[in-house]
Amino acid sequence: MKKRIAAMVMATVMAFSVAGCSGETAPAGGVQNVDAGTGDGQSTTGSGDTASAGGYGAIKLGETGTDITTTIKFIHHKTDREQDGTIAGYIAEFNKMYPNITVETEGITDYAEDSLLRLQGGNWGDIMFIPAIDRAELPNYFEPWGSVEEMDNYINFAGEYATGGMTYGIGYMANAQGLLYNKKVFADAGVTNIPKTPDEFIAALQKIKDNTDAIPLYTNFAAGWTMGGGWDAYLGAITTGDPTWINQKFVHTAEPFKDNGDGTGAYALYKILYDATAQGLIEDDYTTTDWESCKGRINNGEIGCLVLGSWAIVQMKDAGPNPDDIAYMPFPITVNGKQYATAGPDYSYAVNKNSDADHKLAAQIFVKWMVEESGWCDFEGGYPVSKTAPTSFAFDGVEIVTNDPALEGEEDFLNEMNSESELNFNAGGDSRVQDIVVQAFNGTKTYDEIMQEWTEKWNDAQEELEIDVLY
Amino acid sequence: MADISKAKKADAGEFWDWFTSRKVQRIFITICFMLIPLVLLFTFTYLPFAKMVGFSFYKMKYIGERKFVGLKNYIKVFTEPEYFSTLKLSVFYMVGSLVQLVISLYLATVLSFKLKGGNVFKGFMFFPYLINGIAVGFIFKFFFTRGFVLDSVLTACGFQLDNLPYWLRDIKVNNWSLVGTSVWRYFGQNMVLFIGAIVSVDGELYEAAMLDGCNRFQQFMYIILPNIRTVLILNVILSITGSLSAFEPPYVITSGANGTATYFVKMHEVAHTSQKVGQASAMAVVLLLIIFLATFLQKFAFKYFVFRRAEDWDK
Repeated sequence: MKKRIAAMVMATVMAFSVAGCSGETAPAGGVQNVDAGTGDGQSTTGSGDTASAGGYGAIKLGETGTDITTTIKFIHHKTDREQDGTIAGYIAEFNKMYPNITVETEGITDYAEDSLLRLQGGNWGDIMFIPAIDRAELPNYFEPWGSVEEMDNYINFAGEYATGGMTYGIGYMANAQGLLYNKKVFADAGVTNIPKTPDEFIAALQKIKDNTDAIPLYTNFAAGWTMGGGWDAYLGAITTGDPTWINQKFVHTAEPFKDNGDGTGAYALYKILYDATAQGLIEDDYTTTDWESCKGRINNGEIGCLVLGSWAIVQMKDAGPNPDDIAYMPFPITVNGKQYATAGPDYSYAVNKNSDADHKLAAQIFVKWMVEESGWCDFEGGYPVSKTAPTSFAFDGVEIVTNDPALEGEEDFLNEMNSESELNFNAGGDSRVQDIVVQAFNGTKTYDEIMQEWTEKWNDAQEELEIDVLY
Repeated sequence: MADISKAKKADAGEFWDWFTSRKVQRIFITICFMLIPLVLLFTFTYLPFAKMVGFSFYKMKYIGERKFVGLKNYIKVFTEPEYFSTLKLSVFYMVGSLVQLVISLYLATVLSFKLKGGNVFKGFMFFPYLINGIAVGFIFKFFFTRGFVLDSVLTACGFQLDNLPYWLRDIKVNNWSLVGTSVWRYFGQNMVLFIGAIVSVDGELYEAAMLDGCNRFQQFMYIILPNIRTVLILNVILSITGSLSAFEPPYVITSGANGTATYFVKMHEVAHTSQKVGQASAMAVVLLLIIFLATFLQKFAFKYFVFRRAEDWDK
């Protein structure tokens, strides 16, 4: 009896594991077989050499690799675009130029987790969006696109997914940090020039309040992450013009929240929120704001602007009948006559190092086509990745910067300071930013008192952690 | 050699006899039955708790090195106004829980007598308890939104919208609004517990009381109340300790903003946003001690004041 039970248990376990295995590998295995049948004859033509020597720059779309017949597989996280047929549409367009390259796609819901597992498993396909792995690991899994120096000629952020001087990833789109607004509301209110300083911005909000029915600035207070994540994102180069500020100088600064007097720095940033609240330029009942419905409301012109990254543009455009009214402006802080915006790539394409030559070349051609020709990045409202593709992202006269990483040996300082001071900048400090609104609305604390409190907490934490005060 | 093995055998035989004796077997089986629940209880309750008490003496995050800091975390719980002052909010929830007990006791008494559609009412009033706490939070966020459910009901009743407060924005009323949701959710559960206790009261007592000329209120005071006091005490203690550790309404509805952060919400933020695991553990231990103290005081109060007369009758 015991034996029989054991046997049954074993059988069940095996049945499951077999089912699991076949479920996992069947599609990928299928792909491999296809290329074994069709690719062999073709790969003798010498396209293999161009693939290994090729890279991004050497590929001429419409000329390189037109003789390849193969099937490549692309795994990605954009399940929404998989379902609404956008990606299929791009592939159909791509096949007009390359009819013999079949592209299979798979949208993965829990991409951040699953992609890591797939990567370890090895048999994931030919193109993927790089999951969260160390930069130094990139060469173990992916084919380089070319040297960073060379790639800089073709794309933005070539240095982002790079190691050893080689670029391994190309963003499918990029995100820039600015302010989301409704063009029509601004125009109706009589705001003709996009505000560039905090004072101009508050004045513009006041005009919206006076001349339209729209809520000038919708805080999305209740959602929480929109407050901490929204406002803290501008700390750094945008508010100071100094890309080393947030990750290198901030922890060593004695008075990071002091009034510079010229509308710059962290002081000026959060003061916009305080002043807007105190002057009644935000929504009436901030405690019951609703994230989902704010999308439709800004689209319909009921909201003037939202403090969100450029990733949100497409969601706002899709949320109603007026996608053309949604626009993006640089954050209204000007440092020495210049506005700054931080930007970085979203998920980035990379090609499997272990695919054979034909697959690699086909994959690279497809990615280059997607980056240069598809218009996907622009469709999503992203900051451009390709330096040549047309874009509707207008950030004229704004310097795009990337905040520098922390100094070696100090990588953990900001985290430690955030934890010790409980201020949590860019680390879920939602309640800190929400408190600004509460204090401003009820008039219980002046803005300077709040800044004074933050400074004290910051200094206590510096003392506790024995971090030198240098600035 | 042979002798030794024989002796061993004899020993083994004696041991076996002793082991199979009725008395030992009984103890052995009792231990075996208790072993599994005790091991589970130890592994999942007492071990983590002991660990947490240990953590409270360290400055630590979830990962990384730990530093022993002695009682520093505990001192901070009491000296840092941001931590301890949040306990004040528990007063709101305590008042709420008393209101909740009165409502549920009243309804339970009414519903335990024959009533048309009594079960339907019971079902309706118990229903909120079955809804997931997160869902309750979302329901009430819209319920309290300006011009939405509550406001429109009240304006339909003749109130002017301008005279109504912003239920979640006004710092004077927002905690009461949150307490209200908690009362709404839990009174049904209390009521069902009370009904269960009241049903077990011997029906002949009512008859005897009626013959003696008792009215309904007197029946309640002198028959029902003394008979359900165990359940009543239990409910009071659970409600008070529950109000000390109120979490869901402020966390889901207001995310602890706007002066609604209870001790628990603050503890959650310290532990998970700021990642001060040691500090949060100390806060948890302090809360536990406060709950112990509150429970003890209540037991004491019930024993010597509230049910004194009832106890006297028992003697």
